[in-house]
Amino acid sequence: MATRDLVLSALFAAIIVALGLVPPIMLGFIPVPITAQSLGVMLAGVVLGAKRGTISVLLVLVLAAIGLPVLSGGRGGLAVFMAPTTGYLIGWVFAVLTTGYLSQLLVSHSQAGFVQTVNFFVAALFGGVIVLYVCGISYLALVTGLGFSKAFMGSLAFIPGDILKAVIAALAGRAVMVGYPLLPQRT
Amino acid sequence: MRSLHIDGNSVLHRLPAAAKLAALAVISLVLFMIDNAGFLAGAALAGLAGHVLLRISATEIWRRMRPFVLIVVVVALFTAVFNGTGEGLTAFFRLAALALFASLVTATTTTGDFIGVITRAAMPLERLGLLKARDVGLSIGLVIRFVPEILSRYEVIRDAHYARGLKPRPVSLIVPLIITTLKSADEIAAAIDARGIRSQK
Repeated sequence: MATRDLVLSALFAAIIVALGLVPPIMLGFIPVPITAQSLGVMLAGVVLGAKRGTISVLLVLVLAAIGLPVLSGGRGGLAVFMAPTTGYLIGWVFAVLTTGYLSQLLVSHSQAGFVQTVNFFVAALFGGVIVLYVCGISYLALVTGLGFSKAFMGSLAFIPGDILKAVIAALAGRAVMVGYPLLPQRT
Repeated sequence: MRSLHIDGNSVLHRLPAAAKLAALAVISLVLFMIDNAGFLAGAALAGLAGHVLLRISATEIWRRMRPFVLIVVVVALFTAVFNGTGEGLTAFFRLAALALFASLVTATTTTGDFIGVITRAAMPLERLGLLKARDVGLSIGLVIRFVPEILSRYEVIRDAHYARGLKPRPVSLIVPLIITTLKSADEIAAAIDARGIRSQK
């Protein structure tokens, strides 16, 4: 791995950590806070692509695991990997991998700006919402013994916010691609 | 960024980090296999007693557990409502015990020890040619180094919005933040290579 790729991944991990310092919004009756950090996960995919994006998300999770309060709300330590919502954290890895892979597959420099934005949105929505929720809900359902339908109902309220984040990630991904293109191109 | 590690010289502090992680893995498996609420309550109490023995103050224990309290209580209530009070209690004590034991390992292990464990665990992957084990420590150091810088960059961009009479919006904040941050990657990479940090044996 080139040093530049390693540095890009580390810098993006730092961006994801910084986004977690924006205070999370709790929706009261559901045990998952809404944060800008999951937006950071989608952004890592659309900006850096699958490989470097995944490394940056893994770095954030490693930092959390070794006891640094890098997750939103100052959470960190091994306890975050022993909670009912751990599936969403593990899901970040698959979310960024999917988002990055789809971005590389769908978006190219020769497309019109609007087409690029729509393709980035599809990538962020599929990876950052669908894949993420499949991981999070499955884990919640299996570990707590709640069952899939109840775990799904409990997570439903967060989906609109995450779709909005996919829109932001798409607009930002396209703007970064114009300003400083880093996304690996399909050959 | 303050680590959740707490200085000390207890038995837990002196145990190798790898042994603590292995023990935590075994304990969590046991906690998931046993469905007895009384046993799980005992385990949660043991985890709490561990914190007291390490002389962690009540306010500090609360500060560490606060992020988990809401999640654990809500899941336990959900379970109690749908599957009965007994299962709700079982879920509550199991999740509380898990969080407390994990927190014990975090409190007694330094960041450096953890990086050592990860580097050693990555050695087989290095032999397969997938990554360089030493890169793990380097990357972790880079992230810790750059978080404060990105935060101050964020404030500069936000203030630039105010100076122009613009309302800060997510896209107009995030795009310059990403571009200015990632543009410094070339310089940082050149500095790392110039010092030969990654080629050292």
